[in-house]
Amino acid sequence: MHAASGRHIRLSLMPGRSLYDALVQPLAEIGVRNASTTILGGFFDDLIYCVAPPDPSGQALVAYSKPIRAGRSFMIFGNATLGKSMRGEPLVHCHAALRTEEGLVRGGHILTDVSIVGRNPIPVLVTSLEGFELRQAYDPETNMPLLQPYKESPHE
Amino acid sequence: MSNAVVEKGSMGRVAYARIAPNEDLVQGIEKMCLSEGFTNAFVRGALGSLVDACLGTLDGKYLQIKGPAVEIVSLAGEVRANADGSLRASLSGVVAGPDGNVYGGPFVAGSNPICMTFEVTLEEWLPEAKAAS
Repeated sequence: MHAASGRHIRLSLMPGRSLYDALVQPLAEIGVRNASTTILGGFFDDLIYCVAPPDPSGQALVAYSKPIRAGRSFMIFGNATLGKSMRGEPLVHCHAALRTEEGLVRGGHILTDVSIVGRNPIPVLVTSLEGFELRQAYDPETNMPLLQPYKESPHE
Repeated sequence: MSNAVVEKGSMGRVAYARIAPNEDLVQGIEKMCLSEGFTNAFVRGALGSLVDACLGTLDGKYLQIKGPAVEIVSLAGEVRANADGSLRASLSGVVAGPDGNVYGGPFVAGSNPICMTFEVTLEEWLPEAKAAS
């Protein structure tokens, strides 16, 4: 799915907010509900992530691990996709490389609602997706709910 | 430069450059913007090597990775104009030391001399005249 053009925005993730709130709320205020974003690096007061090893039960392709607390960390680089969950709420899917409080370089799936932006604003380059939307929907191949592109809902 | 949470704008010119040995990574990118006339820019691609790498940590401490050479594996960041017209590059990335171990963090200005070469593409960022906040 494609659009003729996309809008660009430079967003500052504000200190003390969760990564989820810092991304979702300012973009919603300017009508951006679907976007690909690049997080350009910055400190977090708390950063929690998980990884995705194969599902031991074999029911799905992978099974997310328990949350891993990286603590006061530096997010080296991240990508976050903004879309809509199966319940119709904003959804942020974020993967990132990070340096943990212990100084280890790690990476994984960031739990955005419990990861808290640190003392300085963090710059994000946002490319807004216009003319279609990203919705979480069941994917039969992986047996997981995944973000997928759809034509925009006519009532929105 | 605006400190708005949301800054609308568009991409402008694209510049590619090689930064030479012993030039500083962060200052080299700032100089590149000055010479190209870019006031704000995003780093859109970069690779190269450092003599030694210096990454910032919490509370103003530093992590030094001894080379040569320390390879830059990934790099992201931006250049922004200060109120006085000077430019400031904020760059972070992953580097690989001579032993193959990887390290990551923000690059400290003035402490990351290029070793062999550093190739970088910058995309000019043009904020709208009146940014939403």
